[in-house]
Amino acid sequence: MLAERGKAARAVGGGIDVHLFRVQEASALVDLTSIDLAYVRADGGLAIGATTTFTEILESSEGAAYLGGILVEVLEQVASPLQRNQGTIGGTIGSAHPWSDVIPLLLVLDAELTVYDGQERQTPLARYLSDRSTGARPLIVEIRLPAASRGDGCAFEAFTTTGFDVAILNCAAYAVLDGGRCEIARVAVGGTPALAGRLFAVEEMLVDAPLDEAAIERAAEKTAEAIDARDDRRATADYRRTLARVGVTRCLRRIAQQGGIG
Amino acid sequence: MTITLTINGTRRTVDIDPGEKLLDLLRREGVMGVKVGCGSGDCGACAVLVDGRAVNSCLLYAAKADGAEVVTIEGLERDGALHPVQEAFLDEGGIQCGYCTPGMVISAVDLLSRNRDPSEEEIRLALSGNLCRCTGYTKQIQAVRKAAERMRGGGRDD
Repeated sequence: MLAERGKAARAVGGGIDVHLFRVQEASALVDLTSIDLAYVRADGGLAIGATTTFTEILESSEGAAYLGGILVEVLEQVASPLQRNQGTIGGTIGSAHPWSDVIPLLLVLDAELTVYDGQERQTPLARYLSDRSTGARPLIVEIRLPAASRGDGCAFEAFTTTGFDVAILNCAAYAVLDGGRCEIARVAVGGTPALAGRLFAVEEMLVDAPLDEAAIERAAEKTAEAIDARDDRRATADYRRTLARVGVTRCLRRIAQQGGIG
Repeated sequence: MTITLTINGTRRTVDIDPGEKLLDLLRREGVMGVKVGCGSGDCGACAVLVDGRAVNSCLLYAAKADGAEVVTIEGLERDGALHPVQEAFLDEGGIQCGYCTPGMVISAVDLLSRNRDPSEEEIRLALSGNLCRCTGYTKQIQAVRKAAERMRGGGRDD
């Protein structure tokens, strides 16, 4: 039905966004929760079915154990318990809201999606998001997170006016440290107010160097420069650059502390 | 389209519009304890239990409740006795105008069905999707705590 009707048919997970952002051209809704895609499995990394609710991830021992509990830390901040009981991980990725807290986190975790568009295939989350901007809308089947590496750490920071409100800006960082030296670094900032994206220039600065206070300061400055900060009704571009600087500093400091050199 | 669901223990088969919200269906069926608030999932006045989990019925398509068990504030009493959470809200003065109360109670029932001894922090988080415009929330939090104590002390534990 989705293939036949094109834009007139919408896939529905929890259905929250389809409700809130009513799509005028939609004349058919296809409920994906009737297929069995609600699961969290540890298989080295983590495999999460697309229709798994936030609550189901939060309450799963596999989700809670992943990478020092980062999923719990972030997903507990998403919307309210009432919405977390209904909203699905696949739905939030499919909606791709620029203020999403989930997307920057999954970007730095190097998430890969299993999608279906006539046949099942794997695609990195970043590719899914860029394809989406050209109109491609494959169904999301599964979200896969890689196995944790020795010495890795992840941190997330969101700035909101209230605990319930969407972020004015958010950021996530992931790094693999070896003796305090950064082997892999991934940094993403969202809500600039554009959709979250990785900041490769910042990541390059961090790799192959000690993750010390000077490196963190340089990375934070570069982040403030690199983001596509703009004014909107929530905040000015200048304020967003300041938040990005503070957020990335906090994330990287936390990772450095986890890595034992803080 | 036609769906079949259980509302407060009674199985009903109803005709719905495919785009209809569960909130509107419930009120159309005479279940008026479910309150219309913001209509956008911010206030929690419309919270109901769907298969044991509290959700905003203003954000849920009625079609998705096909086959589900829906419990509203009206369905919490048993044999004429109020649910311990309802009793505790009365005893602690957790109600002023009462408009948010059904949703607050539903969120608290969901919490206590999974966590028999929640901390104040856990209670606050569990009620964070329910807005009250009269109170400072203190009495509702006390009420949930008291209900948890009573439920642990014996009697009804759902």
